[in-house]
Amino acid sequence: MKTVLKYIGAVIALIVALAPIYWLVTISLKREIDQFAFPPRWIAFTPVLTHYREAFSSGSFSVYFTNSVILATVSTFAALTLGVPAAYALSRFTWPGDAREEIAYWILSTRLLPPIVTIVPLFLMLREAHLLNSLAGLALVYTAFNLPFVVWMMRGFFDEVPKEIEEAAMLDGESRGGALLRVVLPLVKPGLAATAVFCLIVAWNEFLFALILTQTEAAMTLPVGIASRVTQYEIKWGAMSAAGVVAMLPVLIFASAAQKYLVRGLSLGAVKG
Amino acid sequence: MIRRLANLFRVEGFKWIAPAMIVLVALSVYPLLYSVKVSLTSASGAFTLAHFRRLLDDRILFAAAWQTLLFTVAALAIEFALGLGLALLVDSLGKARGFFRAGLLAPMLLPPVVAAVAWRLIYNPQFGALNGTLRLLGFDTTRLTWTSGQSSALFSVILVDIWEWTPFLFLLLSAGLQAIPVEPVEAARIDGAGAWRIFCDVTLPLLKPTILLALLLRGMDLVRIFDQIFILTQGGPGTATETLSLYIYRTAFRFSNFGYAAAMSFVLLAVATFASRRLIRAMGPRRA
Repeated sequence: MKTVLKYIGAVIALIVALAPIYWLVTISLKREIDQFAFPPRWIAFTPVLTHYREAFSSGSFSVYFTNSVILATVSTFAALTLGVPAAYALSRFTWPGDAREEIAYWILSTRLLPPIVTIVPLFLMLREAHLLNSLAGLALVYTAFNLPFVVWMMRGFFDEVPKEIEEAAMLDGESRGGALLRVVLPLVKPGLAATAVFCLIVAWNEFLFALILTQTEAAMTLPVGIASRVTQYEIKWGAMSAAGVVAMLPVLIFASAAQKYLVRGLSLGAVKG
Repeated sequence: MIRRLANLFRVEGFKWIAPAMIVLVALSVYPLLYSVKVSLTSASGAFTLAHFRRLLDDRILFAAAWQTLLFTVAALAIEFALGLGLALLVDSLGKARGFFRAGLLAPMLLPPVVAAVAWRLIYNPQFGALNGTLRLLGFDTTRLTWTSGQSSALFSVILVDIWEWTPFLFLLLSAGLQAIPVEPVEAARIDGAGAWRIFCDVTLPLLKPTILLALLLRGMDLVRIFDQIFILTQGGPGTATETLSLYIYRTAFRFSNFGYAAAMSFVLLAVATFASRRLIRAMGPRRA
């Protein structure tokens, strides 16, 4: 009896969690006449793909999609390139006094700055550098945003690798960098992949920086493109929902791939769940 | 200070972290300093304290700060209670645990913009799924205007946040529950303690570090809330759902008053710094 009640509770929670997502998917697949019918058509409707075609073959959503892909990939790669050596140094080298922890927490504190605080100066700085409305400008910002996260996550993963392993490799004639690349990184590969996945998700989902730093059609990302449609006078719900579904699918796929590290990734590496 | 910095340059690891530090200084520290300058500059380019004086008698700012506080406290309390309840519930389900957990996490992984769009489809008073379903069940929905009603807007926006972020507290608290050793719980049971007593006296104290961390992480994000409200209501109707982030955004990018926006952002920074200090302290001992 008690078990049955528990399952009923869990199923209700699951329905509440998934119903809005399901509704968005159905709107993207419904003809206009079904979208806003009364009573609402939760299940019975004829699915069509016209909205996806409208959004991505003729509409500008394919431009936004490409922009989002490029931005997420480039900024993740840059954040890893800069962050992995830093994390390794914080994990391995000897530092004077408390320098190790002080540097680590300073790096973390830059991540905890509310974006709205740095957005005004960043906007003015990028305007001066003629980097507004360019993917390069936004990629820079995303790199700096993800960098502290990379350092904290990767430092945790490096800490778990015994020092002796690379010391042995260095005795065999490897340099520091060689030992990192050929011995240590292969050992932390799952952690590295998880870290990359979280950077990709953050860059892919990010809205505020993109909203302010890219205002031309050619430079918009997928979230900004969707948002610009919501605030328009006449909203094309079908095409927008289709774009929304396309925006959420990669995230759900990536997140399920990194499920094992979800807790660690979402708590900035603080909880080793 | 200078000698310590000079010492740092000689450390072997310094050249490994230097590139990362340069990027962070250029794109986090420098903007912050630049922001100080902007906040002290008038529209004509002269030095001024007017922006900071204006902070003191800006009624909209007070309203936005109050709404941000209300939003943060209400959402955090409910998300915590629901998240803990769900964590305990799902934890006790045995084999089906993984299935439920994966499904329950979906809302927080979506791009916030997409989540907000889904809720606009649901909340719309005329053709939305929520009022439609309620009407189907025989309710009168003429007065249920959700995000477009002056008095219900803030509540409706909080509801979306609860939907979206309860999974986050659920996830962290689940992880915390699984990390609790079984022995103290077993010992209490053998001593004859009831389930409620065990929960209050054994489980909760052991879970406390995780609870603190989860509340701080979520609280910091709530204080700066922007995306969902921007899509759902743009701060309206009127200023019913305006938060600090939205007001700063409007001031800077709708009214082009960068100086005042920068001054206000230091208010938000002060709140966030207070929270992040606590967070950093809470994260500290875990690494040792």
